[in-house]
Amino acid sequence: MNVGDKLILKKNNVSDFFYSLQEQMQLIAPKQRFAGDVVFDLVNSPDEIVWEYGHDIYPPGKRYLFPHYEDMFSYRQGEQIAIDVAADVPRQAIVGIRSCDVTAVRFQERFFSSPIVDPFYKTRSDNTVLFSLVCNEPPKKDCFCICCDAGPYLESGFDVQLTDLGDRFLYEIGSEKGLDVSEPREKYLEASTEQDIAERKRIELHADSLFQTASYIAKAIIYITSDEVPDEVWEELGSTCFRCAACTNLCPICTCYTVDDRPEPDGSFTRCRSWDSCQYAGFTREASGHNPRPTFGSRVKRRFYHKASFQYIMRDGRHGCVGCGRCVSSCLTKLDLPSVVKRIRRAMHDYIEPISKPTAFLE
Amino acid sequence: MSTEVQAPTLTGAKPRNMWGVTGVPTGNLYVPMPAVIEKIIVETPDTKTFRLRLEDPKHAEWFTWEPGQFVEVSVFGAGEAPIGFASSPLERSWFELTVVNRGKVTGLMHELKEGDRVGIRGPLGNCWPLEDIKGKDILIISGGCGLAPLRPAILYILANREDYGEFWLLYGARTPADINYKYDLVEWEKRNDFHVLQTVDVGDESWTGNVGVVTTLLDQVKLDAANAVALTCGPPIMIKFATLALVKMGFSEDRVVTSLERYMKCGVGKCGHCCVNHVYLCTEGPVFTYAQLQEFPETRA
Amino acid sequence: MNDKPTTCGFCSCGCALYVEPRKSGLGISGLCPSTTHPVSTGRLCIKGWNATTSLIRVDRLQTPLVRKGNELQPASWEEALSVTADVLKRVISTSGSEAVGVIGSAKTTNEECYSLVKFARAVLRTPNIDGACRFYDASLIPALIDTIGIPASQIGVEQLAEAGSMLIAGANVMEQLAHIGSRIQDAVENGCKVVAVDPRKSRLAPQAGLFLHPKPGSDLTWVRALLKTILDRKLYVDAAPQMPGFEELRASLDDVVIGVLPQVCGIEPEAVVEAATILAENEPCVVMFGLGVLQQQDSTILVKALANVALLLGGYVMPLRGQNNAQGACDMGVLKDYLPGYEPISSVETRAKWESAWQCAINPQAGLSAIEMVQGGVKALLVFGENVALSAPNTEQTISALEKLDFLAVSDLYLTETAQLADVVFPACSFLEKDGTFTNIGRRVQRVRRVIDPIGESKSDLEVIVGLASAFGKEMATDPSAVMKEIAATVPLYANFSYEQFETGWGEPWRASTPTPRLAPIHATDLPPEEPDYPYQLLASRINFHTQTGTMSARCGILTREYPESVVEINPSDAEKLKLRPGRVVRVSSKTGSLTRRLAVSDAVPQGCVHVPHYFGGDSANMLAGYECDSISGVPVYKGLPVKIEAVS
Repeated sequence: MNVGDKLILKKNNVSDFFYSLQEQMQLIAPKQRFAGDVVFDLVNSPDEIVWEYGHDIYPPGKRYLFPHYEDMFSYRQGEQIAIDVAADVPRQAIVGIRSCDVTAVRFQERFFSSPIVDPFYKTRSDNTVLFSLVCNEPPKKDCFCICCDAGPYLESGFDVQLTDLGDRFLYEIGSEKGLDVSEPREKYLEASTEQDIAERKRIELHADSLFQTASYIAKAIIYITSDEVPDEVWEELGSTCFRCAACTNLCPICTCYTVDDRPEPDGSFTRCRSWDSCQYAGFTREASGHNPRPTFGSRVKRRFYHKASFQYIMRDGRHGCVGCGRCVSSCLTKLDLPSVVKRIRRAMHDYIEPISKPTAFLE
Repeated sequence: MSTEVQAPTLTGAKPRNMWGVTGVPTGNLYVPMPAVIEKIIVETPDTKTFRLRLEDPKHAEWFTWEPGQFVEVSVFGAGEAPIGFASSPLERSWFELTVVNRGKVTGLMHELKEGDRVGIRGPLGNCWPLEDIKGKDILIISGGCGLAPLRPAILYILANREDYGEFWLLYGARTPADINYKYDLVEWEKRNDFHVLQTVDVGDESWTGNVGVVTTLLDQVKLDAANAVALTCGPPIMIKFATLALVKMGFSEDRVVTSLERYMKCGVGKCGHCCVNHVYLCTEGPVFTYAQLQEFPETRA
Repeated sequence: MNDKPTTCGFCSCGCALYVEPRKSGLGISGLCPSTTHPVSTGRLCIKGWNATTSLIRVDRLQTPLVRKGNELQPASWEEALSVTADVLKRVISTSGSEAVGVIGSAKTTNEECYSLVKFARAVLRTPNIDGACRFYDASLIPALIDTIGIPASQIGVEQLAEAGSMLIAGANVMEQLAHIGSRIQDAVENGCKVVAVDPRKSRLAPQAGLFLHPKPGSDLTWVRALLKTILDRKLYVDAAPQMPGFEELRASLDDVVIGVLPQVCGIEPEAVVEAATILAENEPCVVMFGLGVLQQQDSTILVKALANVALLLGGYVMPLRGQNNAQGACDMGVLKDYLPGYEPISSVETRAKWESAWQCAINPQAGLSAIEMVQGGVKALLVFGENVALSAPNTEQTISALEKLDFLAVSDLYLTETAQLADVVFPACSFLEKDGTFTNIGRRVQRVRRVIDPIGESKSDLEVIVGLASAFGKEMATDPSAVMKEIAATVPLYANFSYEQFETGWGEPWRASTPTPRLAPIHATDLPPEEPDYPYQLLASRINFHTQTGTMSARCGILTREYPESVVEINPSDAEKLKLRPGRVVRVSSKTGSLTRRLAVSDAVPQGCVHVPHYFGGDSANMLAGYECDSISGVPVYKGLPVKIEAVS
């Protein structure tokens, strides 16, 4: 068995395969929740896995590798400062994760390991195996991974990639980590045929043709990189923002966090990091009260500079969007990436309506 | 055991030591080294200088730093705040941090006593390009508490005075009461190889010196702009006007060096607070040339 | 993980979210909105995203407190409950049950509200039970019962996007109720026309096709003009003339003179005609109004007038209530003049029904309102989950009246300003720590689930109420599902609800049995007299980041970082006239009181007005208001209050 192998996991073996994997590590997979919600969660039994799910709004890769609230260490004051580093990191497989989220995990892994290694992210990511699931069709109308080179299937970057071929999964091994979990389970896997590969190809082409949302991000990158987008456009966009920060909270790429020292009932403190957002005024406001990003518009501009500028592509190796569509579904207004890209492109073409002079809402 | 710093730093001045890049003496990037407050000097009504000594000798041995770098100080029970080194880099057994009381963490730090403990992560960030500017005339312009991160540079240059040309310091404070390091300034003014000019925005009965913003002192400065380097630090508005004036005097944009300040959390290029455009101040700054700042439209705000 | 779906307790939108408790230590490890819930639909506002950090904290009340000497000292539950019961028994035996008052909250669950009403009326037998709504929005209850027939929104949040037009009066809705703001944006995108009315330019401006800025306190004048225009131009729906009250309404508007609008309201008559036309031509129209309408002189009449607009145009009414269970608390009868289900206490049949349901005699007397109680109308007061010291008007006098009470017991999460004055403090648990139901702004009754264990020794208000009742020898249901069973059996509006049903979906809106709409006559009222010593008018509005005196929100790191300090805003031209520079500390004072804050200038604030954010921090607009109330509903008057502004040296 080698990295790059394309095998077959028959559906009647799926349950046994994952029971066997579960002996080695905990399984995180899409699970039926309340009233039709499907959310990634710890599954007690592989039979709970919802294979035919759409898309989880709560990015599983981010949630389980860089949790919303993460304890870093606790300390106790006294004669000495006693520091106790959080060390509860289980081995886990995230099963059924989508291609866009796998791409995002690889993005975050790169970010958190260069040039300085973040120990908490590193430990979690070393302990995690990703079993990604190809989207046979775009799970949501908001999906646009195809514009962002992040799906609906992957050429590389996965540990194991599964494609639903009806009564079987095409089982592709993409990394040493993927190989390590596959080899002990050889008995559940068999060789694929040319027909299987052809069927997979057919699914790819079919999926590619079904996207409803397109985002011509390349053009926006040019305008943002050269800082050509007029501030009025950013202020107009910002004037509708509700500052909920869902766009950055649910973005599988976003990594910003804040740190708080939380008092515990026993008198100790826990230094905890939690997701923060460049869309908050307080994100950059200094103790003196001075805020380098004082308007809603300046903060929207910031977000898109990070998502779509050549400067960040040079740093991160790709632009900061995987087209998962979560900013579309979670935004209380229309500050999602496709809408903003569309607005920027429109603003930059003088044949479209002139920009109105909006009020810049401070703070 | 220091290795070459690999993090990209923009001024070209690479510090020899940087937390997380050249090692993490505590074993975890986010866990600070305990340090004891040896001495507290009250500078102004809202500013104190803390002299600190790392408790663990292994930490102290690892801990070397250069002027312009900073640390994250953990005030236990409150959190962390980034503070620049303020003492001489040649002093290896202790270091000083000058802290203005204006937030939760710095407020609680001001309540600490000699003998209390804080946590230190650092050195962080890049440094003033003191090696690269040897042989040049040096003009330092600073305002208010902006003198703190320049003080190590001044002390270093004074200790290696023969390596540098003309040496000028222009320092402005809001009022005479807001002047930091009064004890140093008295000594510095006595030297004939160091020109020190001071000004205040608003004087009082005892103030006989210059009144006005710091840039009003520039007329008195005599040096060859073509062979000089300016180091600046202070409030954003001061830096802006000082830079404009310096460029007018004939300083090229890559000879005006400044240290930026931003809200900051992690100090290791992860939390994202200190980003200016695509640059993380904590690992690639805080020291930049004016020429470099042209690439960051966000610093124009 | 063992994350559970629950309902957010921060505002009346009532989003569903999953909260994942931490394996050990205080706090949670994550949360996310439900995608299938009709309101949240995968989205949350800033308060929702940060809902937990202000609740799960070490500074929560850990044990009951009992005042010994001058100090509140930790005590056992047994002691706190028995001290309270003993004092109440003594006060009742010496001064009668009328000497006891109970104030309920709009934040606690329906089960807790119902049990509190039952405890007050059937166990304590006091007529003095009232809710926090008296401080905010109680004027909509008599007004909407008399017009649309139900004192609630006629539509849900999820239906707003289909509106053809909207009249939004006196509500900072984009800041206060983000999900409704979001649906307004969706509706506008679908072609809905918005007529916004607010003295101040709010963040509704980008959505508003027409934005009217009337002078504070002049609302009745322009609404009457609007009604008159609709009638005169026959813009109403065909069915309107058959509606009861049509002719009386027309007659009551005979004295409307459109020509006074510029002088009285600062609005051009053409703008009112344009508003009427927009609303009539774009069906269906939704009439929304917030505290800007609900907290002024004659607010009940004003709400009736706005409801008439909706009725004439065949539209819907949606009152913008703020607190998470504002609707449910009123439904459960936490009101001085109604029993649960809005059954009037004055009716003999109603009393008979509840006397038999509760096996008791109900005191038929008209009870005191919450505002009368905090003024010292009672000797002993129980307050559940409302920081009355700050949320009642006339803060200074209210606090001194609360200090003078013989006995004050408070149940709350934190040692609030009210709890600090109490003789007994019960540590309450938050909505994350208990089971129950909330009713959202669209009447949707939804389940609240216990996600984490109670902090310290805290207990739900339901447990406290049951404990007190049992000290009086009366057994009440402790299990929230059993309470809901009792509610379903006695309150027709809730007849269809059960906990079994809540396990299968996100709950349903309650439905009233075919209410008959009636048009109400709208007579002119006197404009408030001018006060030459107080030349400015107060505007108070809610902000995005804080709610409910900040008991919860001001403890959240992210929310306070976003809005660290409340300021006073005036128009730049007024600032120039007064020679006041932004950043200066100023004092705003009224006849009643004053507050001190830093000044900011904003074009959004009209000339002659002073804008102060409401319900946040000790020093809020409540300092300025007296006990003047709308005469029908007893809701205090904040909007348009005469004030002056001066520098503090």
